[in-house]
Amino acid sequence: MVKFFESSYTYDYSFPAVTLAYFLRYPNPYSTHVLSTDVIDRSIDSQGRLKTLRIHRKSSRLPPAVLKLLPKSVLGNVSGGRSESYILETSTIDVKEGWMHTESKNLDWTGILSVVEKQEYQRRVPDNEGDDFSVAAGTTGVITTVMFRSRLGDRLRARANRKDEVKEEVEEKKSFLASWSTSGIQRSIEAIASRRTENQLGKSKEGMKVVLERLRSGGLVGVLEGMRRDREMAFSGESVFKRG
Amino acid sequence: MSSSLAPECNEVKERYDSCFLKWYSEKYLRGKGTTDECAALFKDYKHCLTRALKERGIDRMLEEAREGSRENDAANLRRKC
Repeated sequence: MVKFFESSYTYDYSFPAVTLAYFLRYPNPYSTHVLSTDVIDRSIDSQGRLKTLRIHRKSSRLPPAVLKLLPKSVLGNVSGGRSESYILETSTIDVKEGWMHTESKNLDWTGILSVVEKQEYQRRVPDNEGDDFSVAAGTTGVITTVMFRSRLGDRLRARANRKDEVKEEVEEKKSFLASWSTSGIQRSIEAIASRRTENQLGKSKEGMKVVLERLRSGGLVGVLEGMRRDREMAFSGESVFKRG
Repeated sequence: MSSSLAPECNEVKERYDSCFLKWYSEKYLRGKGTTDECAALFKDYKHCLTRALKERGIDRMLEEAREGSRENDAANLRRKC
């Protein structure tokens, strides 16, 4: 019930620039579905690593193919497949060693599908530049891993297993859930999510590149100015980019 | 700058974000940032955000996310017995 997706990429920008762009990546023209970003916690540990915990609010649309698979009892208050969801993001940066590890996962809808995305960014400096990590130097590699797990029915199954004494009810639930899992609903949801993720990963990479280019041409001021424009566009609904 | 999930926190968030970005780009990335210079501003922001998370029930969701992983571990351990 666990599915992996892995990809790697190299940004033609220095490690410091990429980490800055990571913090500043919303809003960008490719992220109109991201409604807000907040820092819940931030600290520096004894080794000088910066750890940040953020929460993003996204507007999401459940794909019609997933909607069809879900029983009404699970869907609850979703109307027309539209809803908001929250993503919890952890990032750890070691500026001396030149790496950043991130992990993002959904906070709600976990009963239907858990998605965990992990990224490992690594500074790459040309041999002749040694330890120099000036903002202009080198490129940055990133390996992205995404894990899906549909847990639809797992909770009910666990509950049923615990209540062994109520035999009839258990038998009924067991057969119901057994047929559910063999019908492959979990696998179908994972497959759909996997296809959407490939598409989404492309968009988030494009978004990072927009922010990095603004950083290169206009510095921090250029990024903030670009953000202001993106926000105005998002609010007036004139974004030329399709909602993801 | 990105907005806060709570509009009432936007102002304190923006003040904190600006401070952080300055510290991060000018000091931390240059290997000079060993202490968080924006702690006081973060305290104001966090005060506002904590209340907003509570009002919206998101604090419970965060707690459940932690409990959820514990529950799974327990279930997996039971299965092995």
